[in-house]
Amino acid sequence: MASDSNSSPSITDCTDQNPNPNEVTDHLTTLAITESENAIVDEVDSNQEDSVDIANGSLDVNYDQNDDTQVEEELPTGSVLVSAEVEVVEDVRERNSSGGVDNGIDNSEHEIDVRLSPSSSGYAGERGTSSATSNSGIEEVEEDGNVITLQDSSIDAVADSASWVPGKRHVDEDDASVSWRKRKKHFFVLSHSGKPIYSRYGDEHKLAGFSATLQAIISFVENGGDNVKFVRAGKHQVVFLVKGPIYLVCISCTEEPQEALKAQLELIYGQMLLILTKSVNRCFEKNPKFDMTPLLGGTDSVFSSLIHAFSWNPATFLHAYTCLPLAYPTRQAAGAVLQDVAESGVLFAILMCKHKVISLVGAQKASLHPDDMLLLANFVLSSESFRTSESFSPICLPRYNPMAFLYSYVHYLDVDTYLMLLTTSSDAFYHLKDCRIRIETVLVKSNVLSEVQRSMLDGGLHVEDLPIDPSLRSLSLSPHLGQERLTTDSLERFIEVDHGIGGPAGLWHFIYRSIYLDQYVSSEFSSPINSSRQQKRLYRAYQKVYASMHDGGTGPHKTQFRRDENYVILCWITQDFELYAAFDPLADKALAIKTCNRVCQWVRDLENEIFLLGSSPFSW
Amino acid sequence: MPARRRTLLKVIILGDSGVGKTSLMNQYVNKKFSNQYKATIGADFLTKEVQFEDRLFTLQIWDTAGQERFQSLGVAFYRGADCCVLVYDVNVMKSFENLNNWREEFLIQASPSDPENFPFVVLGNKVDVDGGNSRVVSEKKARAWCASKGNIPYFETSAKEGINVEEAFQVIAKNALKSEEEEEIYLPDTIDVASGSQQRSSGCEC
Repeated sequence: MASDSNSSPSITDCTDQNPNPNEVTDHLTTLAITESENAIVDEVDSNQEDSVDIANGSLDVNYDQNDDTQVEEELPTGSVLVSAEVEVVEDVRERNSSGGVDNGIDNSEHEIDVRLSPSSSGYAGERGTSSATSNSGIEEVEEDGNVITLQDSSIDAVADSASWVPGKRHVDEDDASVSWRKRKKHFFVLSHSGKPIYSRYGDEHKLAGFSATLQAIISFVENGGDNVKFVRAGKHQVVFLVKGPIYLVCISCTEEPQEALKAQLELIYGQMLLILTKSVNRCFEKNPKFDMTPLLGGTDSVFSSLIHAFSWNPATFLHAYTCLPLAYPTRQAAGAVLQDVAESGVLFAILMCKHKVISLVGAQKASLHPDDMLLLANFVLSSESFRTSESFSPICLPRYNPMAFLYSYVHYLDVDTYLMLLTTSSDAFYHLKDCRIRIETVLVKSNVLSEVQRSMLDGGLHVEDLPIDPSLRSLSLSPHLGQERLTTDSLERFIEVDHGIGGPAGLWHFIYRSIYLDQYVSSEFSSPINSSRQQKRLYRAYQKVYASMHDGGTGPHKTQFRRDENYVILCWITQDFELYAAFDPLADKALAIKTCNRVCQWVRDLENEIFLLGSSPFSW
Repeated sequence: MPARRRTLLKVIILGDSGVGKTSLMNQYVNKKFSNQYKATIGADFLTKEVQFEDRLFTLQIWDTAGQERFQSLGVAFYRGADCCVLVYDVNVMKSFENLNNWREEFLIQASPSDPENFPFVVLGNKVDVDGGNSRVVSEKKARAWCASKGNIPYFETSAKEGINVEEAFQVIAKNALKSEEEEEIYLPDTIDVASGSQQRSSGCEC
């Protein structure tokens, strides 16, 4: 049980330097407010002494015994304006770019041309090769603070994943293109002979020279009996991951922690294994000339969709999965029918709705790692062909057994809900088809499918619904905070203002991860975190906190309270759970802590509905 | 096999320093020549798309440094090469004599599956210099050596004048392609649950 006593006596504060100089500088120039860089990081550290925060790449050494209320008083009132106005600016941009989901390629290209900023023409001119680029492309630009163009069509959280179309981007580019060089985050996969296998942007063959260079760098260091892991070059981080004959490289200026980028490379490698298994290594052993690209033919969308998930799906850094909220009996009913099937030679039976689990069952002793589930779901969801017919496909679960294939029967029961039956037998198709028919019949009869659809419509937890006592609410919505937003630029504001500003005590969003269950639950996004770009920024903030909390050098930490111009992030880790919560940047610290306790209590009260409990397939 | 499958060929250019490896590559890829000598540091990489017998493929050209101090990079650079181009300067006897070392070094480091038939191409460069008067290695001598090493194709080139460069690279591509024909068979296993504990999840933190 959470308690205030847990936090108050051991709090140490440190005044953080501006965490992202570029970004703030930009805000400053836009808004002409000078005090906005007073970001505060309050850290409650388990050992209280010399705790060092490296999340921002700069070392922020805490100093002890500083009263946090003092620090908060020093916060300039200007920063309210900052946060409010920044949002306004964003909203305007979004509206300008109202391309909309349906608008085709031409439209977005026009918009680009119109709003090119002269200083960055080279970059922006290349940006519009397809309307589908919108999300990833823009957000990346945005982070720089260099606002060039926006084709961001999604206004809602809901629209986010729906409007994003998987697939290869900017195939016409190569390393000589200015646009290519300016992309914020590159991923490369190449063979140990320097032959390109995959590149997020640009045509692999045109990038052959570039991938040869990467191979030369890796091999040069290897030659000296060492391994290159990480290079920082100005704003860019280059992260290397060597997996036998396969080299993976990320080049990024997104300021994500190095560990996070490495974890993303691991997932890309895992995705590759899911498609091919580790047997490809043998091909390289026999023949170093081996070209893997043909084997990966047609899988561009799988990788682009995974890379997209790095910016919206917390499962990619939490290493946990999430469930679709369902009444306990409904989930039990689904589990029971899957269990029946699992006893007839099915290794894993998984029923999912988009990336959320409805129920899953594993044969005796077989366990499924959350990363495998993520990669499997991504594979199925990003491959259009699974939607149109029942499929039987070889897949490898890298955490289960990276060397060998399983066979996966996939069938969509409705537009979002799909059943995956995994088996070791390559001739089990008809058996699995029978199983599916049985399962489908039961699910329809017991109304599970209709419940699933209803839950999809209802969405998950909303911070506004967090149970609170009335005194708290009046405190949290301090008048100036609410009104400032309305008045600063009411013309430019969206109607969303009417939706209020999140939950009690300025709570905007949270993620609760149950360590024991390997599951997480995340609140739905609501105002003011509306656009996919804002969501991505919040996830990146979570990711940073996650990395700093799990950093072997200075951690593990138990709580962290971090305040910057965008939000307050409160992270709390116990033996049983990890809680990540985002608040209004002016949120009161004591109230925020209280609210987090309430969130935990709330989640525990609802655990029957939001988690998959009981016959856990995880055999610890 | 998909009809429009593209092939990438890794081509290594070897030879003593100053024989004109980089110039040949520049002439071939960029159609440019410079009289100024710039030593290659480590290696340079260029790509060129080539159409050959209705097939489109990409040459990934590894232009290595001729200086001995870079030879430690051997394995890393030679691994997985589809073709090796040996270059010498027809005006420098030593650079011709060293071809044998370059070839053997390559075969040791790259250890291709069939060293006897690994596709090499030999280029005698700088035939333009001094109207051919300063030449010390005769074409006959060079061809004899190539014949003794399993009939390596031989070209006399001038990177400066662009003589024979295109032709040489056509053969380089053709030969590299020939050895690519034998397809690798990729046959992964299927998990055998019956065989016991082997199937335990490695990612499960117990």
